[in-house]
Amino acid sequence: MSNVTTASTKEAKWWNGGKSPFDVEYGKVMMWYFLMSDAFTFGAFLIAYGTVRFSTNGWPNPNEVFKSYPFAGEGTNAPLVFVSIMTFILIISSVTMVLAVHAGKMMDKKGVVRNMIFTIIGGIAFLSCQAWEWNHLHHEGAWWGMNPFINADGTASTTNFTNFFFTITGFHGFHVFSGVVINIIMLIMTLLNKFEQRGHYLMIEKAGLYWHFVDLVWVFVFTCFYLL
Amino acid sequence: MSENTHEHGDPIAEIKKVTIILSVLTIIELILGFWMIGITSEGLRLAIKGTIVILMLAKAFYIVAYFMHLKHELKNLIMTIVVPLALFIWFITAFLSDGNSFRNLRNTYDPHFKAQSEIKVEKKAEGTHATEEKEGKSEPTETKKD
Amino acid sequence: MSHEAVLHSHDSHGHDDHAHHETFLSKYVFSMDHKMIAKQFLITGMVWAVLGGLMSVLFRLQLGYPDASFPWLESILGKWAKGGQITPEAYYALVTTHGTVLVFFVLTAGLSGTFANFLIPLQIGARDMASPFMNMLSYWFFLTASIVMLCSLFVETGPFSGGWVAYPPLSALHDASPGSKSGMDLWIISMALFVVSSLLGGLNYIATILNMRTKGMSMTRLPLTIWALFFTAVLGVLSFPVLLSGFILLIFDRNFGTSFYLSDIFVNGVGALSNEGGSAILYQHLFWFLGHPEVYIILLPAMGMVSEIMSVNSRKPIFGYMAMLGSLFAIAVLAFLVWAHHMFVTGLNPFLGSVFVLLTLLIAVPSAIKVFNWLTTLWRGNIRFTPGMLFAIGFVSLFISGGLTGIWLGNAALDIHLHDTYFVIAHFHIVMGVASMFGMFAGVYHWFPKMYGRYLNNSLGYIHFWVTLAGAYMIFWPMHYEGLAGMPRRYFDFSIWESFKQFAELNRFISTVAMIVFATQILFLINFFYSIFKGRKVTDLNPWKSNTLEWTTPINPGHGNWPGEIPEVHRWPYDYGKDGVDFIPQDVPVGANESSH
Repeated sequence: MSNVTTASTKEAKWWNGGKSPFDVEYGKVMMWYFLMSDAFTFGAFLIAYGTVRFSTNGWPNPNEVFKSYPFAGEGTNAPLVFVSIMTFILIISSVTMVLAVHAGKMMDKKGVVRNMIFTIIGGIAFLSCQAWEWNHLHHEGAWWGMNPFINADGTASTTNFTNFFFTITGFHGFHVFSGVVINIIMLIMTLLNKFEQRGHYLMIEKAGLYWHFVDLVWVFVFTCFYLL
Repeated sequence: MSENTHEHGDPIAEIKKVTIILSVLTIIELILGFWMIGITSEGLRLAIKGTIVILMLAKAFYIVAYFMHLKHELKNLIMTIVVPLALFIWFITAFLSDGNSFRNLRNTYDPHFKAQSEIKVEKKAEGTHATEEKEGKSEPTETKKD
Repeated sequence: MSHEAVLHSHDSHGHDDHAHHETFLSKYVFSMDHKMIAKQFLITGMVWAVLGGLMSVLFRLQLGYPDASFPWLESILGKWAKGGQITPEAYYALVTTHGTVLVFFVLTAGLSGTFANFLIPLQIGARDMASPFMNMLSYWFFLTASIVMLCSLFVETGPFSGGWVAYPPLSALHDASPGSKSGMDLWIISMALFVVSSLLGGLNYIATILNMRTKGMSMTRLPLTIWALFFTAVLGVLSFPVLLSGFILLIFDRNFGTSFYLSDIFVNGVGALSNEGGSAILYQHLFWFLGHPEVYIILLPAMGMVSEIMSVNSRKPIFGYMAMLGSLFAIAVLAFLVWAHHMFVTGLNPFLGSVFVLLTLLIAVPSAIKVFNWLTTLWRGNIRFTPGMLFAIGFVSLFISGGLTGIWLGNAALDIHLHDTYFVIAHFHIVMGVASMFGMFAGVYHWFPKMYGRYLNNSLGYIHFWVTLAGAYMIFWPMHYEGLAGMPRRYFDFSIWESFKQFAELNRFISTVAMIVFATQILFLINFFYSIFKGRKVTDLNPWKSNTLEWTTPINPGHGNWPGEIPEVHRWPYDYGKDGVDFIPQDVPVGANESSH
């Protein structure tokens, strides 16, 4: 019981003004709320995709669409392989980002630089994978408004499968791209000792939030397009 | 922030732990995905899809809670983030159920839609590049219509 | 780590700005002072209000006098009014632009943009917004959006003319109507810029209210204005992105051959389109997921300001502060759950529709709580009928009359008869359009002394109020009657139907009143701009004898708001008539033998 009362008095103090109720600076509050709003952007896309899928009788089987990987011969049948590589790339780059943020908290410039470089490499690798996949699908005749694939039950498919795929992965890819750009800026600022001078690496933390969000969105995009 | 960080054990160990959890969850998802390829029973497929969605939410939880550090923030911040996300429940329910109802509506009252969705088409030969489709952006679905 | 230093570093930046030599550009154009940005929003909003109002006068002219010819129209509109009569295309374009401009540019940017910027830092005791730079960007995105929208009025094929909701296929197909060509492209670009502007603004408002409150300003000591603006910002931040997604899909449908919203369409002269599998209902869902919260984005700031103004001018504490807060919160949550009540007749699942009916009718509960609290705040108050107060009371009157018809329209069964008629027009114009305008006027009259250090002319204010209130009822009350008789909205000319011929007189009456009301607004504009330069000077630091912090600043506060320390807050903002004292400002410490509120 005593625990509860102390907690509530502490809380009341947080909201009393003169300081942040969350004990974070305003930039981080803004970043969180920006990510909330971005979550609604992606949410709206994915829910729109779900709605159209629910209102259509047939839908292509993702395993018959995404079944190739770079340097594989034509007619390769390896569903889920390439996309799982992409997923792991993004997870690992997220891990290096956490490590960079952690190094920033420890004021360890070297650690920040090293991990930021890994994160940027991961981001670029992911973008390259996506570029390859888009290119591959485009060669198969898929694009906005063009769908060469047929439904799982053998009936003709509408173009909405590819429409949504390219729009949503494209929008996600755009976020990855801007994340990479932000990370590169952060890296340059770190190398220029900007954060050492400020005495804190809070910018890295905010860039990290954005990067993890990109990873988070991929968790949903990956599941919705490749697994379900 | 600095005070917060020290409240919970070794951060590096925690990062390692979460990385492993995320990898394992992803691998389970992939295994389920592979398993689903051969299954035709609708009920079982639905059950697997449900499991995958739960795993997806678990992954999201670990990313937000640990990588984005939300679990170690003040409860105030956690609540202001998590409570608005509850709006997604009704957002998803209403949209998807209306999508479903729209399909039923069309299948019942739109014979053209129903007929169109029952036409079987030939599976394209492997590896043919659909070059003829590239030129016709304005008539994207032409090839399928006939 | 110097974490505390980071948290408070923004507090100090206000001080050193005083010494700067300010050029015209840095003071009036690229200003980062929240007060100047507020004025920029207000004046841009007023320009749009005049343009949007003028459009309504033009199409009311057509509705009131469908057979008459006005040669002077041709000199203004050119080919859009051949022979002095507005063409149907021009009529639809006018209706569409009127809706878009009034809803987004005037009542969203002009209202919450102005007062959130102006009041948040002043009333919570902050030197400026959390990020003044983002605040400036927010205005500049809004201005860019405005300019793009303005350009769309001048394109060869005319501005977009498919209704402010921009439903596909009218918005998705270039061939659907003249306005669906480049007019629509500009419309959508303008709206996308507007979404960015409102996001930048909203994030700033939220972060400022949470993080920058002065010492002692706990959340339950915030004036209701700030609470209302806070919920407004949250609504905007969470709902505008959905609109953005919907628009991105629409852009793809327009330009890249997709069919998200299109299916089975035949265009006269073009033939059957190849688009298959899309769902136009999907767009409506996405649009109204923003569209309904948007109604509250418009209304909540007005509600907050009205609560504040009523309490100050009744010399009484606001009745039921916590109930007001709770109802604001309930309205904000419900705003997200009821969007499909705009879509009862679009092919929505009827069962789902009935769920939406239930949720919609629930809104009546918090709305009623607010109305009763306002009325009980007035009850036995020592009321000062300033123009600001009159507009606040007018807001409550309009909110009740418009809200009641909302209960009719929220019922799916009644809505089948009433949808898309003038009944709907009357409902949302009263409850959302005119009511929020009244909130905005109330705010301008009340805070004008703080904005410009001068008073508005009271006599002109009274004329403005009474003509506008009477006019608003005379315009929109008859529309209920027309709507019940089935007169559909958005029609160009009713004179060709036998059944609507009986309304010719009434339509002419409405149009005449509309013109008079519009002319009265010009009176307000004259009052506004005259008073900025020549109005009676404010000599009293606290002219309304109000408790909130903005009146502790100098009469013309510089950038940074308080020349010295920011005052500390010791009490809630509604200590009026407490223990026999007329008012006790928030920064007065609690006395030893003072009763607690």
